Amino acid sequence: MLSPYRVIDLTDERGVLAGQMLADLGADVIQVEPPSGSSGRGVAPFFADRPGESIYWAAYTRGKRGVTCDLEQPRGRDLLFRLLESADFLFESSDVGRMAALGLDEESVRERFPQLIYVSISAFGQTGPKAHYAGSDLAIWAAGTPLLMTGDDDRAPLRVSQPQAWGHAAADAAGGAMLALHARHQSGRGQHVDVSAQVSAAQSTLAQVLAYQLGASEPERFGGGIKVRGQGLRGTADVADGYIVLLMAPGPAVGHFANHAVRWLVDIGAIDAGMLDEDMVTYADRLAAGQANPELFPRLQENMRAAVASRTKQEMLDISIAYDLLLVPVLTVADLAESPQLEHRGFWRDIEHADGRIVTYPGPPLQIFVGGEPFGYSHRPPPTLGQHNAEIYAEIGVDANELEQLNEAGTI
Amino acid sequence: MTLPEGTGPLAGVNVLDLSWIVAGPTVGRALTDYGATVIRVESPSRVDTARVVAPFHADEPGVENSGLYVNVNAGKWGLTLDLRISEAQEIFRRLVVWADIVCESFTAGVLSRWQLDEPNLRRLKPDLIMLSSTLLGQTGPYNQVSGFGSQGAGMAGVQDLTGWADRPPAGPYGPYTDYPAPRFSLTALLAALDHRNRTGEGVFIDQAQAEGTLQLLAPALINVKNGGPALERRGNDDPQMTPHGVFPCRRTSDRSESWVAIAVASDEQWRALAEVIGANPSLTIGERREQQAAIEATISNWTAQRSAADAEEALQALGVSAHRLSNTEDAANDPQLAHRGHFHRLPHTLHGETTVEGPRYLHSETPGRPQRPAPLYGEHNRQILSELLGLSDEEIEHLAASGALS
Repeated sequence: MLSPYRVIDLTDERGVLAGQMLADLGADVIQVEPPSGSSGRGVAPFFADRPGESIYWAAYTRGKRGVTCDLEQPRGRDLLFRLLESADFLFESSDVGRMAALGLDEESVRERFPQLIYVSISAFGQTGPKAHYAGSDLAIWAAGTPLLMTGDDDRAPLRVSQPQAWGHAAADAAGGAMLALHARHQSGRGQHVDVSAQVSAAQSTLAQVLAYQLGASEPERFGGGIKVRGQGLRGTADVADGYIVLLMAPGPAVGHFANHAVRWLVDIGAIDAGMLDEDMVTYADRLAAGQANPELFPRLQENMRAAVASRTKQEMLDISIAYDLLLVPVLTVADLAESPQLEHRGFWRDIEHADGRIVTYPGPPLQIFVGGEPFGYSHRPPPTLGQHNAEIYAEIGVDANELEQLNEAGTI
Repeated sequence: MTLPEGTGPLAGVNVLDLSWIVAGPTVGRALTDYGATVIRVESPSRVDTARVVAPFHADEPGVENSGLYVNVNAGKWGLTLDLRISEAQEIFRRLVVWADIVCESFTAGVLSRWQLDEPNLRRLKPDLIMLSSTLLGQTGPYNQVSGFGSQGAGMAGVQDLTGWADRPPAGPYGPYTDYPAPRFSLTALLAALDHRNRTGEGVFIDQAQAEGTLQLLAPALINVKNGGPALERRGNDDPQMTPHGVFPCRRTSDRSESWVAIAVASDEQWRALAEVIGANPSLTIGERREQQAAIEATISNWTAQRSAADAEEALQALGVSAHRLSNTEDAANDPQLAHRGHFHRLPHTLHGETTVEGPRYLHSETPGRPQRPAPLYGEHNRQILSELLGLSDEEIEHLAASGALS
């Protein structure tokens, strides 16, 4: 869909997903790295059979072509300008101020290329009192508020063990870039898109980041569930081989799922059929009016926990689908690798790397049908360092002679 | 006839949004921030869960009090339609003809029962762009799994990957799959719109919210699929950044707890931190990992003597990545978020005023903004039916009598 467009991707590990999202939609994305390789090539994990080869970098450069270019050299910057002549987007995620130090800040570059959409991804944004703060996954998650909300209430707050903050920001950057493309269709001009990972983290709190300003209580963390007015509500339960997410609550929004759970518990003989007469949709209202037994629901929850404890994640998923419960397994990374759902949807992609080996990747993020036909996702492997130098530089008019000179000068 | 058009790069783009809760409505919110006209269709009988979850204005639950609903629906026009009623379906079909984009998040198969699924809608509008967004996708053995993003977090591995190694998973805050998913669907919808404008071809997008979320776990998935170990939850530990964690600070009188996050990404940052806390600045990362517990105790001793704000500022001045764990009051007073104008105050019919988040990015030439507050339940029924669709008063009365609207 985006095949008419070209992206010059200067990002490191912090913004590298953004360009890939456009590559997955068909754009020609050129990852530009320093001749010594991007810092992203040093980010863990590493391939078990290729020590030192970053899985992280491969994961998010898949689908792109790659060149090297030393932007510290004037000659490298000239080369970048030649690349930008045919580009629609530039993405960068360097420390705030570095692009300006190189004379490559958005104003200078856009003056030269007014049609260019210049997207910056940073921890806190390009300007403001914290713009020069050192960013990191953990500090961003802290500054955006989700960190304090996450974890067990008797220990320090927690992040997700696979870092997330930069991914949220980079994914926002892709959307911001597309909005700027539509603006360009209207005006003929590009613009600067300034993405703050702190803001992206704030957008990942179910609007709880607004609590104070709305006069609402601060959210409190409670492992495996939520806390409402100091009272912890577990949203998970133990099963024979792990855990499940189990939401069973009365009320108009989800009470009907609790009714379905009652039906299952009756069917397996765990509770008396008389419970079928209790409507969980209206239970809370009846309780408030003194017309329901306050011990009934807590007992039902105990019955449910006892019933699931001896069953496996897979058994509970099958029961959940059969009875329409709000219940799913807590899948581990190992479980995901074997997921029948992902398998059925063709989620995994086997991609041949430049060295001939086949590597299995996740994706695509969406199943898209264009004009009724499945959208053809690219199977392009991640580029090795400078893999497409000759090809891409030839496209912008660099002849063999000049290529040699650029090599000798260490520019590429 | 038409509704008042928005301003911005998407002015003139019409969106029919019958998704609900967060993952779907967030997309429509982004589109309207940039000028699209978005009609949010809600069931009059099955209340949107977003309307009944916190944060509530002044902590008072109520279908018009949720800050979440207001946040993800600002700028939209509100219409109630009970799609089980044939008269409502007819109105819906007319709105599909008006729309460029339809977003929906029913369980797979529900719209087919009403002949309102993608093939049927495409017959009405051949170049329609449609997003169907569910937890696990339209196809596959588990496409009927019900749930919210909290279930999605379980099915996308994030629940299991958030917690301490010696304890059951704690899980992330809230319905995690609702956070990444709209970022992928928004980008694809805008690409689809660009494609349609150039070629006239319609696009259908089948989103599994879990699969969007898995993009953010890609390194762990590639590792396990290619002979490597399966990542497991490990608290705040990071093999490439040590020390790395959340440390207790001196509490202020109004807080029950106070923390600072510290992430040391390089030997240079370690030297700066070590000088301050009184540790050996020449330790390599290997040595720091061996002495992790002792180093963390030394840091905790230092952080416990100062406020989180002081710790953050002292460490940032040395180039060490650190930030207090902001609560929502801190966010309200954060000078950086204020500098970016992240929080927007909007008038609200019932509350006088409400606050919503701004767009996710700052555009230098065409900044987005919430164009009006979120609709009250069915607030624009009459306006949409009479001004947009040209229904007469009698026709609207007939429609209301059929039960289509309430």
